[in-house]
Amino acid sequence: MKTQVVSIIALFIVCYYVGAAGAAGKDEAVESLVFPASYKVVNVANGGTITGVVKYEGDAPEMKKLEITKDQNVCGKTDKFEESLVVGDGNALRDVIVYLIDISEGAGFSEDKSVKYEIDQKGCQFLPHVNLLPVGQQLTMINSDRIMHNIHIFSNTNKAYNKAQGKNRRKMRLPKVKKAEGPVPIKCDVHGWMQGWIAYIPHPYFAASNEKGEYKIENVPPGTYKLGYWQAACGTNKDAPVSVTVEAGGTVTQDLTLALKK
Amino acid sequence: MKRMPLFTKCLILFVLLWLFLKFVIGGIISVPLPSSLIAMYLWLIILAILVHVSVEDDRFREFLRPIKETLADESKKVRRTALFVLIPLVMLGFTFSKVSTRADPPAALRTAHPAPPADLTYRDKVIGTSQEVENPFRHLEKDDAEAFRVHVENGRRVYYQNCFFCHGDNLDGKGHFAHGFQPLPANFQDPGIIPNFQESFLFWRISKGGPELPPAATPWDSAMPVWENYLTEEEIWEVILFLSEYTGYRPRTSGEGAH
Amino acid sequence: MSTNHRFFCVFIANLVLLSVIVIPVFAQGKKAPAASETGKALYNDKCAHCHGVEGAGDGAGAANLLPRPRDFTKGLYKIRSTGSGQLPTDQDLFDIISKGMPGSSMPAWEGILSEDQRWQIVAHIKTFYDGFEDASPVEIDLSGKVPYSGESVTKGRELYKQLECNACHGAVGRGDGTSAPDLTDEWGFRIWPANLEQKWNYRGGATTEDIFKRFIGGIAGSPMPSFISSFRVGLSDAESARMTELEAKMDSDELADAEQTEYEGLEEKLYAFEDIMLKVEEGEEPTPEEKAKLDVGMKPIFEKSWHIANYVKSLGPEAIPQPAIGDKVLRAQYRPGDLPPIGDEAWNTLESSYFPLVGQVVIEPRQFNPSIDSVTAKSFYNDKEIAFLFTWDDRTKTLPQADEETAEILEDAIAIQFPVKVPQGPTEPKPYFIWGDARRAVYLWHWKVSEPQKITEMNAKGIDKATVQSAASQVQAEGVYEDGRYRLWVKRALTTEDKNDLQFESGVFIPIAFSGWDGANGDVKTKRAISTWYTFVLEPVPSKKRFVYPPLVALISVGVLFALRGAVQRRENGNNI
Repeated sequence: MKTQVVSIIALFIVCYYVGAAGAAGKDEAVESLVFPASYKVVNVANGGTITGVVKYEGDAPEMKKLEITKDQNVCGKTDKFEESLVVGDGNALRDVIVYLIDISEGAGFSEDKSVKYEIDQKGCQFLPHVNLLPVGQQLTMINSDRIMHNIHIFSNTNKAYNKAQGKNRRKMRLPKVKKAEGPVPIKCDVHGWMQGWIAYIPHPYFAASNEKGEYKIENVPPGTYKLGYWQAACGTNKDAPVSVTVEAGGTVTQDLTLALKK
Repeated sequence: MKRMPLFTKCLILFVLLWLFLKFVIGGIISVPLPSSLIAMYLWLIILAILVHVSVEDDRFREFLRPIKETLADESKKVRRTALFVLIPLVMLGFTFSKVSTRADPPAALRTAHPAPPADLTYRDKVIGTSQEVENPFRHLEKDDAEAFRVHVENGRRVYYQNCFFCHGDNLDGKGHFAHGFQPLPANFQDPGIIPNFQESFLFWRISKGGPELPPAATPWDSAMPVWENYLTEEEIWEVILFLSEYTGYRPRTSGEGAH
Repeated sequence: MSTNHRFFCVFIANLVLLSVIVIPVFAQGKKAPAASETGKALYNDKCAHCHGVEGAGDGAGAANLLPRPRDFTKGLYKIRSTGSGQLPTDQDLFDIISKGMPGSSMPAWEGILSEDQRWQIVAHIKTFYDGFEDASPVEIDLSGKVPYSGESVTKGRELYKQLECNACHGAVGRGDGTSAPDLTDEWGFRIWPANLEQKWNYRGGATTEDIFKRFIGGIAGSPMPSFISSFRVGLSDAESARMTELEAKMDSDELADAEQTEYEGLEEKLYAFEDIMLKVEEGEEPTPEEKAKLDVGMKPIFEKSWHIANYVKSLGPEAIPQPAIGDKVLRAQYRPGDLPPIGDEAWNTLESSYFPLVGQVVIEPRQFNPSIDSVTAKSFYNDKEIAFLFTWDDRTKTLPQADEETAEILEDAIAIQFPVKVPQGPTEPKPYFIWGDARRAVYLWHWKVSEPQKITEMNAKGIDKATVQSAASQVQAEGVYEDGRYRLWVKRALTTEDKNDLQFESGVFIPIAFSGWDGANGDVKTKRAISTWYTFVLEPVPSKKRFVYPPLVALISVGVLFALRGAVQRRENGNNI
C-alpha cells in the first residue's frame, strides 16, 4: 500500500514536469555576483589597490534608442538609449562591477557620513545606472522629475519593494537592506523603459566602472584574490575569474576586456 | 361547527395546487414552469375536480348550491353585486395586460443528450460501434493499477490544458469562461451526467463537440470544440478516465440498461 | 441562593469569559496548522495543475492563463491585508482560497473543500517560501474608515488625479492610462491595470476596505505600488505647501541659504515620521512614543486614502450586469421621426443590454486570454430604419500595426453577427455561433478603428469562409474611442433588396452575436473575443387593440353573468311550480 502511494506521488511529479515543460517563464535568469559565505571585519593597515580599465571587445553595437511614450515634456527632452551596454571612447565599458570573489576578511565599510547612497530619477532615467549599496545602508531615491515614479525593486532574497514616489516626494528613503543580493533590477512601471541595477554588497571590495571604463578597489589586505566582474549584457566570469596578487601598499593594474554573452 | 361547503373546499384545493405549482416547484425547487404549462395543469385540475364532484348527483348538487344561491338567492344580494362588479373588472384588467404585454423571447429547445450514431469515429476512422467500443485503458484498473494511474494523470494534464476554461477547476461546469456560454458547460459533478453514459458516448461527445452533432440534435448552440482536431485518441480516452476518477462517478458499461 | 440560580450565574460568567478569550482569536484571524502530508496531497490534487507541484506557478494549465497562476516561491502575494513589502497573513491566504480571484481563473474553493482542508492547503503553500518561517506581517489599520459620501468621493476624485493614478488606470478608471500598454509583472508577463469600472473583476474583492488595502499595501508582483509613500507624512498642509514652494525655487536655483536650512528642517521632520514607518514595516516594535507620533502623522494620510477608496468604489455598477436574456433581452424602441445620431441625449433614455464575451477557444489560433469583457447595446427604430449604439471597453486604441512575432496586422475591430434568415420556430437551427456553417450563413457588420465611419457588410459560412458583399455598403456608422471605451453607432434601412442581408421585422426575435478584436492583445482573425447567440426584438408599437378588446371582454362577462343568473332563476321558479 505504502509503495503504491509513493509511486503515485512520483507519477504525479513526472506528469507535471512533462506538462510544464512547454511553459517556461518569460524572464531570463539574471546572473548574480558571488558573495562570501562569511566575512570578518578586521583592521587593514597598509592595504594595496587594484585598478584598471574595462574595455569592450570588438565593435560596439549601436545603442537602441528608447521610445518615450509619455510625459514628453519631462522624459523626452533628450534622446534616451537602452543602457545594458554603454561603450565609450576607446571601447571603454561603463557599468561593470569589478570585485573580489573570495575575500573573507578585510576592512569594513567607510564610516564617512558624506558618502551618499542615492539614485536620482532624472529625465525618466535612473542615475547612476548601476549601483552598489552596502548591506545595512539606506538608499535614498531622488525624484528630480516632479512627476510620479514608482520604485519597483525585483528582489528575491530581500523584501520585495514597490512604492510610488509621488511628484511631491523629492527624496525618499528606502528600508535598510538585510542580505547580500544581486544585482537586482530597479524599474519604474509608469515609465516602462526605466531600468537600473542595485547590488547589495556585504563588503567594500566592489567597484563599478565609470564612463572611461576605470575602476578602483582600495585598501585590500595583501594577498592573492580572484577578481570577478559582472556586466548586464556581458555576464560574469564566475567560472574563470582573474587571479591578482596585491602587495602591501602597492598598486596592481588589471585591465579587463569583455565580450557579449553568448 | 358548521361544515365547510363542498364548493369552498374545492376552491381551496385549487388555490393550494396553484400555489404549489407556482412557488414550490417554480421557486423552492427552482424549476420555473412556463406560464402556459401552469395554465394547462390548472385546466386539468379543474376538470379533475368537476369529475370528482359529479360522480354522485347529490354531491354535484351540493357543489353547485353555493353558486346557484349567489346567482339567484335574494339573501345573497350583497355578495352577488360584489361579484358582478369584480368579475368584469378582473376580466378587463386581465385582457388589457394580455394585449399589451411584451412578447417573451422564444425558449431554446434542445436535446441535451442526443443519441450517438451507430459507428464511433475518430477523424473519419471507424473505431467500432457505439454500443461496443470500450475505453482501451479501462481494463488496466484491474490489471495494472500503476499504468492506470499514469493514464489518469495524463488525462488530468489534458483536462487542465484544454477543458477547465469552461468546465471548471472542480469539473463543476463553473470555469472562468462559463458565464459567456448558453447552454452552460456540462457539470461533471452532477450525478446525472457521467453515470448515465457509456464511455463511448463521452468519447463521441468530446471528439465531435457542438458543430459535428447530427441534425436531429439541433438547434445546438454549444461552444464545445471538435476535440478530435486537437487531441489524440488516447488523450480523449485518458481525459474520460480522469473525469470519472476525479468525480468518483463511473460511466455506465455496455452491459447495463439504458437510462 | 438556590443551586439552580448559582449554576446559571456560573454558567453565564463562564460564557462571558469564553467569549472574551475566543472573540479576539477570531478577530485577529486564524493561523494555519502545521504543514502536513494531508495538505500536500490536497494541494497536489486541487492546486498543482496550475500552481505546479513545487509551487512555481508552472502547472500543466498555466501556459494558457493570464494572469498566470501565482508562483509561490517568491513570497509575492497580490492580495494582502498587510503593508508594502510584507507577506500575507494566514487568514489572507485562506480567504483567497475560499473566495477565489474574480476575473482570473482562480475559483472559489469554499463549498468544495472543507474549512479544515483549506487551512491544510494554506499550510502547504507556505512551505514554498522560506520567508514565512520568521514572518510577523503587520496588518493595515482599517480603524479610521471614512464613511462613503459624495463629499468623500469628490475629494477622492481630486486625489486620484493628484497622485497620478490615471497614469495606469486612466482618466475615468477604465485601465486605459498612458502607461498601461507596457506593463509586465515580476515574471515578465503582460499585465493590464484594472478597469476600475468592472468591480466584478477585482481580484481581491471590491469592498471599500479591499480597495483601501490595495492602495496602501500595493499588489505585490504587479506594477501596482504602495501609495503610502506618495504623501508627506507628518507635515501639515501649510508645511507641505511651503515645501513645494521651496522645491520650485530649488529647481530654478533661487534657493537662499536660509531657505535651504528651512527646507532641510522640513525634510528632517518628514524623515522622523517616515523612519518610524519603515521600522514598523520591518517588523520592529516601535516605542509607545514613536507609535503615538506615527499615529498622529498617519491620520490625515489614511483619511485621504479612504477618500480614494470611496472614489474608486463609486466607479461603475456594483455587480456584473445581467446578460441580455429573459427580462434583459435587447428591445429596439420605436421612435417616430429621424433616429438619433451618436451623441444624442435620446440614447441616455434607454437601458443598456449586456452581452458577455469570452475567448474564442474553438478554432485555431485560439484566444485564451480575451481582453474585451463584454459589449453593450441599445437600439431605436422607426418605420424605415434601425439604429444601434454599441459600446465596449478596450484599454488601448490600436490602429493597424504589424505584430512583432507573426507580422499579422493587428487592429481594434468588432463584428456584429445576425443570421441571414431568422430561424422559424424553436426547432429550426441557427447558424453555428462562430460565423455560421456550410448550411446556414450569417450576415455581418464588420467595423475597424482605422475606418471609423465604415461598416463592411459581409456574409460567412464559417470562420474562414467570409466574403465581403459586392454591393456598396448600405450601413452608416460612426465609431468613437474615448477614455478606454469604444462607442459605435450603426444605422441601416429595415429592409433591403439584397437577399444576403438580414431583413429587420418588428416583433420577431432576431439572433445576434458579437466578435471583438483588441489589437494590443494580439487579437487577429480567429483569435478574438466572442459571444454566443443572443436574441433581440424590434419592440412592436403598442397596438390600438388594447383599448378595444378589454372593455369588450368585460361587457361580455357581465352579459354571461346575467344570463347565468337568469337561467338559474328560471330553473328555480320552474321547480317551485
